[in-house]
Amino acid sequence: MKRLMIALVASIFWVSGAQAQGPRVDPPSTGLPPSVPAESTTPDLIVDLSRARVSITSAFQGESILMFGMFDPPGEVVVVVVGPEARETVLRKQRFLGLWLNTGRQSFDDVPAYYAIAASQPLQRLLARSAGGEILSLEDRMSTVKPVGPRAAAELAQFRGGLVEVKRREGLYPAAIGQVTVQAGRLFRVDLPFPSRLPEGVYEVKAYLLRDGRIVAAVSRPLPVGKVGFSAQLAGWASHDGPLYGLGAIVMALFAGWLGGAVMRRL
Amino acid sequence: MEIYLPIAELSMNVFVLLGLGAAAGLLAGMFGVGGGFLATPLLIFVGIPPAVAVASQANQVIANSVSSLQVHWRRGNVDLRMGLVLLLGGMVGSSAGVWLFTYLKRIGQIDFVIAVLYVVMLSTIGLLMLAESLSTYVKRRRNPESPRGKLHTHYLVHRLPLKLRFYKSKLYISALLPVGLGFLIGILSAILGVGGGFVLVPAMIYLLGMPTAVVIGTSNFQILFVAANVTFLQATTNGTVDVVLALLLILGGVVGAPIGSRLAAKLPGVVLRGLMSVLILAVAAELLVELLRTPASPFSLGAREVSP
Repeated sequence: MKRLMIALVASIFWVSGAQAQGPRVDPPSTGLPPSVPAESTTPDLIVDLSRARVSITSAFQGESILMFGMFDPPGEVVVVVVGPEARETVLRKQRFLGLWLNTGRQSFDDVPAYYAIAASQPLQRLLARSAGGEILSLEDRMSTVKPVGPRAAAELAQFRGGLVEVKRREGLYPAAIGQVTVQAGRLFRVDLPFPSRLPEGVYEVKAYLLRDGRIVAAVSRPLPVGKVGFSAQLAGWASHDGPLYGLGAIVMALFAGWLGGAVMRRL
Repeated sequence: MEIYLPIAELSMNVFVLLGLGAAAGLLAGMFGVGGGFLATPLLIFVGIPPAVAVASQANQVIANSVSSLQVHWRRGNVDLRMGLVLLLGGMVGSSAGVWLFTYLKRIGQIDFVIAVLYVVMLSTIGLLMLAESLSTYVKRRRNPESPRGKLHTHYLVHRLPLKLRFYKSKLYISALLPVGLGFLIGILSAILGVGGGFVLVPAMIYLLGMPTAVVIGTSNFQILFVAANVTFLQATTNGTVDVVLALLLILGGVVGAPIGSRLAAKLPGVVLRGLMSVLILAVAAELLVELLRTPASPFSLGAREVSP
C-alpha cells in the first residue's frame, strides 16, 4: 500500500515535472506555468540537473554534475545515483611460490556501474526510521547483488568486499555520503561526482523527500553517460567494425612512421 | 594536458605518453631495436590496461619499423629471402599468440603471464648482453687488434634438413631455423606488444650467424609485417587497439629516434650495449619486484559484461 502511494505520488510528479520542462527560464522565479491548474497536485519536490547528460569527449577528466531543486518543508532530501547494471568479475590475488597471481574469481550479476548517495542529514538517522527497502545504503545495495555459482558465504562476503573496494578506488562508489545542502529551508543542491573512468550507459538520478522517515515524494531523472564526438566515433568504429578499424590503425601507423622518418632525416 | 583515450577508456597526461614514445624512440635510434620492451611495461605502470597497452604498442611498432626500414632498404641492408622465411613463421606465431592472448585474458591470467614473460626474457637477455659487452671490453683492452675469427661457428642446428642458401647473409642453413625463430618472435610480439627486435637481433647474430650489417634491416622487415598482423588481429578479436594512444607514442618516437642515433654515433658499441643491458635489467627488476611485493589490494576486476 505504501509502495503504491509512493509510486502514485512519483508518477503524478513525473508528469507535472515533465510539463514544467518547457521553455524554462529560471526555475525558482517562474512560479506555476499558467497551463497547470492551481488546485492540481502541487509537487512536493522539484528537481533538475545542471546537465542533461555526461559527455565523454577527448578532454574528459571526470565531471561534477549539480542536482538542484526545491521541496515543501518540512523534510529531508536524499539523492541516489545508480549506474547501469552488469555482470562484474572479481579476481583475487594470492601468493603462489612467492609470486602474486590471480587464483580466485567470483562473478556477480546486476552490479551497478556506479552508486552514490547524498543526503541532507546523516543517512543512518534518516534510514533508521526506515524508508528502507526503497533507499538502500551502498552496503545494503551490495548485499543484493547475485553471485554467479555456489560458494561459501564467508568467501562470498570477501569477494563482495573486494568488489566494493575496487569500485571505491576507481571513484565509482564514492565512500562518503554526499552532502545535500539546504538553503532557506526549501532550496537544495548537491554535487554528484563522476570520475574519468566512467562506464557508459543510462544512469538514474533519484531524489526522495522524506518526512518522519517516510518517503513522501520521489523524482527520477535518467542521466545518459556516453562518448561524444571524435572519441565516440573511434570507439564505435572499433567495436562495430574491428577489421576495418584494424586496417585503419595499420595505415595510420605506416603513414606516420614513413612521414616521421622522412621529416626527421631532413632536420 | 590530459587526453581521453577512447579505447583504454581513461584520461592520461599527453606529455607522459609523448615522453614514453620518445624514450622508446631513443632506444630504437641508439640500438636499432624498437623500444617496445620498455614502453609496454611502462604503459602498464602508468595505468593503461595491459590488454590495451600491448595491442596499441603493436600498432606503434609498425611506425617504428617502417621508418627504420626506409633507411636500411635504401642501403640494401635487407636480406629479403631471409626476411620472408622469418615472416612465414612470424605470421603463424603471431596469429597463435593473439589467440593465446585472448584465452589468457578470458581466464584472468594475462597480466601475470605478461609480467613473468618480461622478467624471464629481459633478465636473460640483459645478463647475456652485459656479459658479452664486459668480456669484449676486457679483451679489447688487453689486445686491441684481435684477429678476425671465423665468419660464424657451426652448431648442431646447422645440420637440420631443408637447407636454403641466403646469399646476402652468406649463409647455407636449414629454413626450419628462421621459421622457428620467426614463430617464437611472433608469439612474443602478440603477447607482449613488442616487435621482438631485442630477441630477434641477437638471435640472428648468434644463432643464425648472420652478418651484423643486414640483421637490423631484415629484422625490421619481418617485424613490420608481424606487427601489422598483430594489430589487425587484436583489433578484430579483442578490440583493444587504441589509435590515439598509438599515435601519441609514434609522435614521441619520431622525436626520440634521431636523438638516439646521434648519440649512438658518438658512443662506442661496447658502451652502448653495456648501457642497454643495464637498462633492460632495471626494467626486469622492477617487474619482478611488482610480482613479489604484496599488492595494496589483492582484488581487481575483470571485464564488465553487459547482459544482452
